[in-house]
Amino acid sequence: MRLRAYLILAGAAVLLVSFGLAFSDASAGSSPESEAVVSSPPIQIDNESCFFCHSNEGLTVQLDGGETLRLTIDPLAYEKSTHGSNGVTCVTCHTDIEKFPHPERTTETLREVKLKYYTSCQQCHEEQFNLTLDSVHQRELAAGNNNAAVCADCHNPHTQQRLTNDSGELLDYARLHVPETCSQCHSAIYDEYKQSVHGSALTQDGNLDVPTCIDCHGVHNIQSPNTATFRNSTPFLCAECHTNNALMQQYGLSTQVLNTYVADFHGTTVVLFDKSFPDQPTNKPVCTDCHGVHDIVRADDPKKGLSTRENLLARCQTCHPDATANFPDAWMSHYIPSTEKYPIVYYVNLFYKFFIPAVLGPMIILVLMDFGRMMINRFKKPKPVVAEEPEAEPVTENVVAAETAEDMEPVAEPEGKAEPEQAQETSPAEPEELNQPEEQSEAKEDAKSSDEEEDASHDK
Amino acid sequence: MSGITKKPLQPVQQERTFPRFSIAQRWEHAVLMLSGLILLLTGLPQKYREFSISQDLLSTPDRVELIRQIHHVAAIILALEAVYHLGRIIYLMAKRRLPGDLLPTWQDVRDAGHMLQYLLFLRSDKPKFGRYNFEQKVTYWFIFFGVFIMGISGFIIWFPVQFTQFLPGDVVPAAKLAHSTESIVAAIFVLVWHVYHVHLERTNLSMFTGRVSEEEMRTFHEKEYERLTGQAGPQAKPGAKK
Repeated sequence: MRLRAYLILAGAAVLLVSFGLAFSDASAGSSPESEAVVSSPPIQIDNESCFFCHSNEGLTVQLDGGETLRLTIDPLAYEKSTHGSNGVTCVTCHTDIEKFPHPERTTETLREVKLKYYTSCQQCHEEQFNLTLDSVHQRELAAGNNNAAVCADCHNPHTQQRLTNDSGELLDYARLHVPETCSQCHSAIYDEYKQSVHGSALTQDGNLDVPTCIDCHGVHNIQSPNTATFRNSTPFLCAECHTNNALMQQYGLSTQVLNTYVADFHGTTVVLFDKSFPDQPTNKPVCTDCHGVHDIVRADDPKKGLSTRENLLARCQTCHPDATANFPDAWMSHYIPSTEKYPIVYYVNLFYKFFIPAVLGPMIILVLMDFGRMMINRFKKPKPVVAEEPEAEPVTENVVAAETAEDMEPVAEPEGKAEPEQAQETSPAEPEELNQPEEQSEAKEDAKSSDEEEDASHDK
Repeated sequence: MSGITKKPLQPVQQERTFPRFSIAQRWEHAVLMLSGLILLLTGLPQKYREFSISQDLLSTPDRVELIRQIHHVAAIILALEAVYHLGRIIYLMAKRRLPGDLLPTWQDVRDAGHMLQYLLFLRSDKPKFGRYNFEQKVTYWFIFFGVFIMGISGFIIWFPVQFTQFLPGDVVPAAKLAHSTESIVAAIFVLVWHVYHVHLERTNLSMFTGRVSEEEMRTFHEKEYERLTGQAGPQAKPGAKK
């Protein structure tokens, strides 16, 4: 009896398990684990199937967080987008959707929905995606700030048009709209930028010569602009355009702004750190400290322009609080000194241009001549005495002498001619010979000299 | 030592020495030399920042600050020395005891012309010099004005805010240029002119010993020797003159 009951129970259990297996097969895809296994070959579901529902206006779903997720996609807009026209399907990105009914939603807020899908971009846009991993946005995201921008915040995948040409250059219309893209989050900075000399040219005149956000901050690997490294590199960042002669000429701007900055007190130090330890914070000003960052105005702007003395002085006083009205001239305002601009500096420079060759030149020549004559005297003198000795010695000595003094032509040349002079020269030079032993004993004899002599000779 | 001098048995030629620089003057020279050297060594990396050695020295703001502190301390020492030197000149002038030996004269111009002829083998005798020859006078006055320019310009670029309260702002970049250029002029001058004349031409250590030997006095400062001793120097020998 007991044994039979066990057998029945076991049989029922086997039946249940096999039923269960069959049932779970039927409902495969409901759990993400099983989906991962199943979807290893790419799912081929055409967009028509998706648009069957998702083209309907007003298709929404209420998220658990209370927000409403709009689920309507305009098929025409999608077809026109770069994704649609290149045959990217919905499920290429929405990898978790495989069939209807869809798997149960795990996201509670709109933000979570976006964050859930942004990694899909890396399937095709690996390079750009990897760049974003180094960006300040991604760092913020990793630190827990879910509002940090991800791919889809700047590029709406359902409507995104092509941004670059075949060689990877940004298209004009794309450039024009960069600031608006960033302004979705950075609206206060956008408002400042719109007023600036750069921003107003772009937003009002559609001038594409001016920098947009990405020209200074980068595109996908945007770095924090609040680091010392970014600050120290500012001069070179601005110089990318402001030393471009062709570009600056159109606007009558000087291209000497970088080298005049580097030549002056402030720039020379900043550039030094930029080369060696770029992460060193410095209190020396960079371009933006005087000209502003997003609110840069023309130098001759009536309100804030730096060519107005008071405005420049106010800038100076942020670091030099005691600066007075004359002080701003200590900074040459990126000008190269000339007779009109900073004439004192020009004339000091001019003075040294003449003074150095006029004074140091003759001095060096005199020293060389003196050295030459001294050497000639020294090597000529012993000649009559050393005449019997092998010639090798004087020859090598002459070589040495010729090497040391530049204007030594007279040494070798007038050997024959100098004979009569030699006789005369020996007499004044004689004491020099005597000198040598005497000089050595000078120290001893120095001490011997009597005090009376000192007093007698020291009558200044 | 005195025992040795009291035995004049051997015919030793008694070598006299003449005092040349007082101990105060030697100290002045030492201070000038050392502070100038420190100023040059700490100033050069600030001027030539493109060199890698400068960049190694000045790679952090702390190091820049340190190099500048050293430069400033040395500058104060040299400035004090310059003030002392000028003060002493004024004091001696007031007492009418300032020796005029260092003042440039027309004789120096003639001596320089004479020396040039000698160097061009147009004459075989060197000019006869007094207490200071024209080379030494040039050295003194070049460094005198060099220190003056370096000092004034240095303090202007050290305290630009204070100086522009009564000077036009342009003087600051002008002073920077002058400071930077004059330093090189002075350095080349000292290295070429001064070092040649006191080390290569002859080892003249009188600035350190304070004295010159009779022989040197006769050879290089013949007029002064004659004035002090009443004896003629070596070039007074008839054979030496052309």
